[in-house]
Amino acid sequence: MGFLNHTFSEVYARRNNWLTAVDVRVKLLYIVLLLAINLLTKNISIPVFFLSVSFGLLLMVKVPFTAILRSMLLPLSFAIFILLIRGLHEGEKVWLSLSFAGYKLVLKEEGLWNGLQTCSKVLGGISLVILLSFTTTISQLCAGLKWFHVPNTIVDLLALMYRYIFLFLDEVDTMWTAQKTRLGHTSWGKTLKSSGILGGMLVIRAFARAEQTYEAMHARGYEGGRILTARLPSWRKKEYIFVIGIIFVMSFLIYTRNMQVW
Amino acid sequence: MSRIISVFTLVFSLFFAATNTAYAMHITEGILPIQWVLTWFAVSAPFVGIGVYHVKRKKRKMPSYLPLVGMLGAAVFVFSCFPIPVIALNGMATSHPCGTGLSAVLLGPFVSVLIAAIALLIQALFLAHGGLTTLGGNIFSMGILGSFSGYFAFKIAQRCRLPLFWCGFLAGMVSDLFTYLGTSIELGLLVIGKGGSFLKATAEIFGVFMMTSQGVLCIVEGIVVGFVLVFVYKRKPGILLQLGLTKDDTRPVQI
Repeated sequence: MGFLNHTFSEVYARRNNWLTAVDVRVKLLYIVLLLAINLLTKNISIPVFFLSVSFGLLLMVKVPFTAILRSMLLPLSFAIFILLIRGLHEGEKVWLSLSFAGYKLVLKEEGLWNGLQTCSKVLGGISLVILLSFTTTISQLCAGLKWFHVPNTIVDLLALMYRYIFLFLDEVDTMWTAQKTRLGHTSWGKTLKSSGILGGMLVIRAFARAEQTYEAMHARGYEGGRILTARLPSWRKKEYIFVIGIIFVMSFLIYTRNMQVW
Repeated sequence: MSRIISVFTLVFSLFFAATNTAYAMHITEGILPIQWVLTWFAVSAPFVGIGVYHVKRKKRKMPSYLPLVGMLGAAVFVFSCFPIPVIALNGMATSHPCGTGLSAVLLGPFVSVLIAAIALLIQALFLAHGGLTTLGGNIFSMGILGSFSGYFAFKIAQRCRLPLFWCGFLAGMVSDLFTYLGTSIELGLLVIGKGGSFLKATAEIFGVFMMTSQGVLCIVEGIVVGFVLVFVYKRKPGILLQLGLTKDDTRPVQI
């Protein structure tokens, strides 16, 4: 479970730099609109542009290249998978033919081109999401979602779940190691039984912690209302310029027919 | 056709082996075209809305309900991160359970959809697993289909007076199966208008899911959920009683 500790962390979002200082509402608006552009565009260069700009911005604020790559690894392998599948199945014109383990693999031009388009959209979209997650903390995100009138129950649950995931991960990690050292994972059957015990312990601990948390919240005056009360300041000139900027970009892309809206 | 499926399976297996951890149940960012993005959001939104209503209503009667849902949601999220070795790839890769079967059994189907939606949002944002534009589609497959199928499987098994382990096993297995079926349907729908057959594409994708790691994973998740419920019943039977899984604390449940 160690991989989660590497990727699932706010360490970069907590840093002080110009990207983390950008208002969360602007970031959310940008990401949603850029994701829409990424989906609607017919031009392959736009997702590639998003990918390179996101990479560039993250490197500029000193997020290590390996950390970005680690986050991109799964979607990247997915993108390559799609490229291969479409290349193998779609089209007529042969681009490359080779033999692999007794199978004749034929990659076709049309399929590869379609695959490349989907591939670029996957990578472009994921890079935008990573840009948001590496520069925004969960508390900022919750405040931004509240401003966009996402129901309080969802925002409160998001904050609660996110807060306790790390705690439970640590507890599970400790129990997992303890089970391993006591030969609890030596066979497949034992792994299943140990996983069941671990899951059961998790439910029991979640229940106990929920009671403790409620008592602590009640002591602080919670009676079933909102948990998060943070409010964002009103927009400044800078934020208005950012929003006008993205509206201008979208209008330009629609006008130049790079985006297929209807 | 069998040859195409073989090649597909080969590439799929290599993909799993290359990524080491197999995450096949979520559709990644950028895959779904805009019309399907909007459709799946429209389909999923009412279920999430009803989930919110359920939590709000219960919170009014019992203020401790929100922390309870939050904690169990976090616990189920962590449960869904358990690495399970894929036998088909001789342990070269690990997969992970969905967790929706367990959350549906513990919290009910609508609250489970809400929990799944939040978990999917966290995964999309902080693990680059799934996506924001595919969130609606993933809520449909994992949240809605996974939760409701798991919940009804558990209830039917209880009605048939099956032991607690088998009730949990069916909930875990059926919810996993339906999650993959949902993902297959969503991907299969993409061939409509491109000269492909929806049913054939869905069946092929679902077949590939089952042939690689996920078929075994469904059974594995069922066994683990069964063990989880039995363990909780043995250690703290009051929890299952409070969540409404067992009715009478004085009468022992067959495990």
